[in-house]
Amino acid sequence: MAADTTAIRLSVAVSEASHVSVLRVSGSAAFDALDRIVPRELYLRDGQILHSMLLKDDATLLADLFVCRQDESYLLLSEGACADEISRRLQEQVPVGADLELRSLAETHGLVALDGPYAWELLAEALSPDVVGLPYLGFFDLDPWICLRAGKTGEYGYWLLGARSEIPALMVHLLEVGRRFDVARTDLEALDQCALENGFFNIRREGALELTPIELQLQWRASYQKDYVGAAALRQHRTEGARARVTTIVGDGPLAEGDSVFLDGTRIGRMVNAGFSVTRGDWVALALVEERWAHPGLNFNAAHGDARLDVHSISPPVINNRSLYVHSQRHSYRTRDEQTFPAL
Amino acid sequence: MLRRVRELLINNLHVRREPDEIDPDAPLFATGLGLDSLDAVELVVCLETAFGVRLGDDQELRRKTRTVNSVVDTVLATTETSHGG
Repeated sequence: MAADTTAIRLSVAVSEASHVSVLRVSGSAAFDALDRIVPRELYLRDGQILHSMLLKDDATLLADLFVCRQDESYLLLSEGACADEISRRLQEQVPVGADLELRSLAETHGLVALDGPYAWELLAEALSPDVVGLPYLGFFDLDPWICLRAGKTGEYGYWLLGARSEIPALMVHLLEVGRRFDVARTDLEALDQCALENGFFNIRREGALELTPIELQLQWRASYQKDYVGAAALRQHRTEGARARVTTIVGDGPLAEGDSVFLDGTRIGRMVNAGFSVTRGDWVALALVEERWAHPGLNFNAAHGDARLDVHSISPPVINNRSLYVHSQRHSYRTRDEQTFPAL
Repeated sequence: MLRRVRELLINNLHVRREPDEIDPDAPLFATGLGLDSLDAVELVVCLETAFGVRLGDDQELRRKTRTVNSVVDTVLATTETSHGG
């Protein structure tokens, strides 16, 4: 297994999440403006995170979005749309002169990500034991950082948001303390592959293909009961019925984005994301196929170049995440060899 | 089976969605369809009552109920095992 993927799946890996844009939204018009662009109901308490998305007018994806309620303001963490683009969309939703303060943190702040079944333990030793009690999709002030729990790998995942100038020292500290955890530095490519293995949506891959939440199986991030940018197009698309839907594929590969998918010699779709899983030892892909065939347990063929490969559909996650079995009250990286865990 | 699991979620777990809104790979808990720990208990009871599925410990429950399709897979595996003798 590659060292950084091993760390993500078995210990902990750290990375700088420079691909995430951060925007602070405040003012008395903040809720109304946000409510008109976020497709989910904005039921959020202080310290809670909502996983949602942003849609374009035609209901295709613009951004993968975390909305964090911080007292009376909101932090938006976006992949796929920069802070300026989101700011423009928010300003379009309220009258000129409305009390809406928008502050991009792109120049002043940075994010460090920790992912892995023992990410909580490294953070507890490096920064504060308070991290251990942080629930999934929660965040709290860990002066001088804001600590958010919101990974996309199926393992324990945390983001530390703080002053950009403090990021290098934080990385050094985490890597130093992390030696006891066999920590590794990782990058977006490895994290994206882990996300694919766990069925997390990727705005840079399948999200860039002008698909709607219906094809992408993201309807849980949208409400049909409220109005927002893209809502009318999404309702219309639902009424018409989607002809295709993404489904997870595995095979001995190689597989690549754009490969055609066949059933009994008939082309039924194409790969929209693919990569080699060093954890499984085979290839994992996401295919956009005709809706009636978008189910697990079916055998297909994939055309990769001149080769025809046997592949089959499967329910994600396609690995058995170690984080399902690691509990902060019962486990520690130091004593991992004394524990018995199921295979990944 | 997907249809039956969707109906179970709507009728027994009170997921406020139309069947076609419940995507097969949608996460059941937390940020997904919003089920909580109390719903997990209800889900265990419903799966046993409706399909004869017995989930073991908490870890098995979490692994086998991560998404709608995970539940479908679990039910199908139980059904095939019982039919296979």
